[in-house]
Amino acid sequence: MSSRSPILELKGIRKKFGGVNAVDGVSLDIRQGGVYGLIGPNGSGKSTLFNLVSGLLQPDAGEIRFEGRRIDGLPIRKIFELGISRSFQIPRLFFGMTVFDNLMCAPKGQTGESPISALRSEKWHVQEQVFARSMRALLDELEISGVYLNPASEISGGQMKLLQLAIALATEPKLLLLDEPTAGVAPRIAQDIFLAIEEQRRRTGTTFFIIEHRLDILLEKVDHVFVMHQGKLISEGRPEQVTQDKRVIEAYLGISG
Amino acid sequence: MGFDLIGFAVSFLSVYALYAILAISLNLEYGFAGQPNFGQAMFYGLGAFVAGIATSYLLPAMTGAPAGSICSIPMLIERENLAVANPALSMGIWGISLAIATLSGATVGLLASYPALRVKEEWFLSMILLVAAQMFVIIVRNTPQFGCGFNGLPGITNPFTWLSVHVPAIFSADTAPALYSLVLVAFAYVTYKVAQRLVNSPYGRLLKSVRDDPTLAEALGKNVHETRKQIMVIGSALAGLAGALYVYYIGVASTEDYTSTLTFTIWVMMILGGYANNKGALVGAFLITLLDRGSLILGITLQYYLPSFNGSLVNYGRYMVESVILLLLIIYRPRGLRREEPVRTPAYGVFSQEKRGEAK
Repeated sequence: MSSRSPILELKGIRKKFGGVNAVDGVSLDIRQGGVYGLIGPNGSGKSTLFNLVSGLLQPDAGEIRFEGRRIDGLPIRKIFELGISRSFQIPRLFFGMTVFDNLMCAPKGQTGESPISALRSEKWHVQEQVFARSMRALLDELEISGVYLNPASEISGGQMKLLQLAIALATEPKLLLLDEPTAGVAPRIAQDIFLAIEEQRRRTGTTFFIIEHRLDILLEKVDHVFVMHQGKLISEGRPEQVTQDKRVIEAYLGISG
Repeated sequence: MGFDLIGFAVSFLSVYALYAILAISLNLEYGFAGQPNFGQAMFYGLGAFVAGIATSYLLPAMTGAPAGSICSIPMLIERENLAVANPALSMGIWGISLAIATLSGATVGLLASYPALRVKEEWFLSMILLVAAQMFVIIVRNTPQFGCGFNGLPGITNPFTWLSVHVPAIFSADTAPALYSLVLVAFAYVTYKVAQRLVNSPYGRLLKSVRDDPTLAEALGKNVHETRKQIMVIGSALAGLAGALYVYYIGVASTEDYTSTLTFTIWVMMILGGYANNKGALVGAFLITLLDRGSLILGITLQYYLPSFNGSLVNYGRYMVESVILLLLIIYRPRGLRREEPVRTPAYGVFSQEKRGEAK
């Protein structure tokens, strides 16, 4: 894996909220095509780190590079266009729209997204049909069925989580940041989620960076794990190495010594 | 007292068509795109004044008639005579005035979007536009050079008035308003059709995504700012067009007609009919037109039989009825009479197949 070039590089990233150092000098490299985990106790700065990478927040200090290019300070939309997508810890959807309309927002390069071309259906009808079929296949694969025409606000929490994952996968990014994809879903679905991730990596070569509290599932699926504690990166390495690391055990179990 | 059924139908259709365009315009901006425009009356009034002024200058200019103050009585009579004497020109200038008014609506919408879309909270946008609309009325009233000030700009002739003069054997004085009401209905119909195509497309999805969660829309590569700007331009252009159509119906551009009361009435239509539903906008506009015309007739009738009765009381009563309807709706049907529908594109067909399959 070390032969591959880093797709994402973080150098000395800092972010302060009031007096709290949410992210306190984090540097890390993510290589193309891998599945990376990010773990750490609640409040350790994991989600903040994702918000910084995806452009929702701007770092106070440090550099973020994606495929060698500085992306800190770029607008969210530009970062998406470069190839970074994400999901949110608390499902974030277009709640006034139906499940399938939500998913149909994902494909890039929709020719009917301007007011002029919208009126000329020959410009987008064929494309719409192609997108719809592949989006439907994706929903079927993730076993979200029977609710396609429901408003997104009227499906179960687990289904929201899956729909959000489906949207993120459907954008076909180069790097996908997933914030607790299995939180609140049934164990079997959690397995399915990781199967879908594996499938997408095989098919499109997407690099995954995943925050997860379900260490039992995460650690057997990822190539490399980062551990954060109080805004700092305290350990990284292969899953079996990291779980032996004293600092990690300390941070998770609160045993000092 | 004889009841003038044709006259009632003509005024009902005309008012309904105009309200329908306004309700669709607001629904595009707020129902679909989530942008609370409380300045609708300004864009409507702008269209009316721009069309009125354009026609008042163009008619004498293009017939070589001597120009004078557009507000003077002799000039307004002169304009009516010119319009009747030159049918083709009168109708041509009507068309040009509509186009200019629509463009000015769009332009002011675009200009207003610059400060308006820079505010953080969407409700600031509504306040900015509400204040702008109030200022519009004050400025027009106190700038006689622009639209004849408080008295308004009169003498805007219905483009079909010439019919009864040139072909008196077939057409009467009632023909022009009747024909014009049908033209208004045609405009409303086309507006509805265009709005339906606009929202039942990937663009309609884009509008709703911007409305539901702008940050998420950005994270999916949507240009939220540009989309907001576009829909404000489209909505304002439609309101400007409606204003221009109205001024040829009523014959005078007066600030009385473009106060924020009108804006609130349009909001009631949208809330009544249903957010993000163009059919709902038509329903809401219909109910308010019924109330509007009904209260008018009730007032006139009561005053006829009871000369001591103050007819304006009915007018106040109308607003009370409107408020009660609004309150009942907010309690029992907060999303309006017609619910929001899925975006109808070929994708709807692909995803609704499952339902049919299950039904078997």
